[in-house]
Amino acid sequence: MAKILLVEDDDLVRDMLTQVLQRASHTVLCASNGEEATQHLQQEKPDIMVTDIIMPKKSGITLISEVKNRHPNLEIIAISGGGRLDPMGYLDLSESLGASVSFEKPIDNNALLMAIDLLLHSKEKAGS
Amino acid sequence: MSQMYTKLWLPYLVAGIGILISFFLWDFILWHHIEAYLNILLPYKSYLSWLILLLGISFSILTGAVIRITQLDYQRTALLNQIQATLKKEINERMQAEESKQKLEIALLQGQKLQAIGTLAGGIAHDFNNILYAIIGYTEILREDEEKNSLKYNNLGKILEATKRGRELISRILAFSRKQHHEFDMIDLNNTIEAALALLKPTIPASVMIQFKRNNAISIIGNQTQIHQVLVNIINNAIDSMEGEGIITIHTAHLAPHDPLLKQLMQTSIQNYCKIEISDTGHGMDQATMERVFEPFFTTKEVGKGSGLGLSIVHSIIKEHKGEILLNSQLGRGTTFTILLPECSR
Repeated sequence: MAKILLVEDDDLVRDMLTQVLQRASHTVLCASNGEEATQHLQQEKPDIMVTDIIMPKKSGITLISEVKNRHPNLEIIAISGGGRLDPMGYLDLSESLGASVSFEKPIDNNALLMAIDLLLHSKEKAGS
Repeated sequence: MSQMYTKLWLPYLVAGIGILISFFLWDFILWHHIEAYLNILLPYKSYLSWLILLLGISFSILTGAVIRITQLDYQRTALLNQIQATLKKEINERMQAEESKQKLEIALLQGQKLQAIGTLAGGIAHDFNNILYAIIGYTEILREDEEKNSLKYNNLGKILEATKRGRELISRILAFSRKQHHEFDMIDLNNTIEAALALLKPTIPASVMIQFKRNNAISIIGNQTQIHQVLVNIINNAIDSMEGEGIITIHTAHLAPHDPLLKQLMQTSIQNYCKIEISDTGHGMDQATMERVFEPFFTTKEVGKGSGLGLSIVHSIIKEHKGEILLNSQLGRGTTFTILLPECSR
């Protein structure tokens, strides 16, 4: 199916999401912060990036704005559980920076998988 | 009558008239035909007119003096009363100022405490969302591998149900802590209250009566949904405190800038405020409960029946509307919440 770059600093959430994505037959690349994700992007070409927003070293907001300039074809899904702002505040910001879809934690995993399928489908359509 | 005490000439007039009458009698007795009537007193005849003159003058002077002393006494009493009234007023003013200061300090402290708890709650909510998400995700993965309606499948379903409750709790904590960017519009307060009452109607027991005394049109700048939430939370608490039976009175009114209620909270204000008063006939609360009632997670309800966030959300919403909320309660007599909100001038 698709190659997905998963950026999440929480080990439990990252492992769980990896399992969910792998069970849906996706290939998963994992990163625990924005810096690691940037390194992955230099070596690999994922179809979709699923990123958390509040992370150490490099936040999801910075990562999205950088990635959108360097990899304009990469589809981004932002996820957040909130922080100083409410989650929707971060997610609105990430969407305005270029994320295609955003989800507030705790996420309905089926909705996340559906969003990935839709993004892949539209990407394929645009490519053909 | 009191004017009599301020006329300084009165004692002199009385004494003067008395002396004149005495002289007239003296003259009358001395020169006119009164001797015939005084035959029996003949030996004293020559002294009588002088005696009457002396007594008359003494009596007149004495009367004048008594009047003057009474006047002085009255004036001193009036002066003392005036001083006493001024002192009483001053003491009252000082006591009121001290009371307002104390209330303001308590309100400030309470506000700071709530803000701190809000920040803390916001941080906890973020971490808790991650934990919750991991639990939900792993449970769903495990559940997918189980046969539908098997014991394991159903038990995993129970875990998911419990996480739902956790999710609701988190969204309430976030509602309290986050500075939500709600859309504020000019809203009609009375209509908003009526709409909130209509929302609540199906859940209100028949034995609870709600009386809404609306004032003339009152407009505020605010968020209608948030004001609904304020009313719903307070009214639900009132219903619980009345154990499903009693009267809830809601009253709206305009407040002038010099209203004593505003003076209690703010030193000076050029802003017009309006108030919403919500009273119930419930069991009321003691001082210790009143002091903590707006704190998040503080509840007097049974475990599982109240999250302890209802009134802290109310407090947070009223603060967001640049308003104040006051609480007055007596055990066994019920509770009154008074909400002050800046009124919108049309």
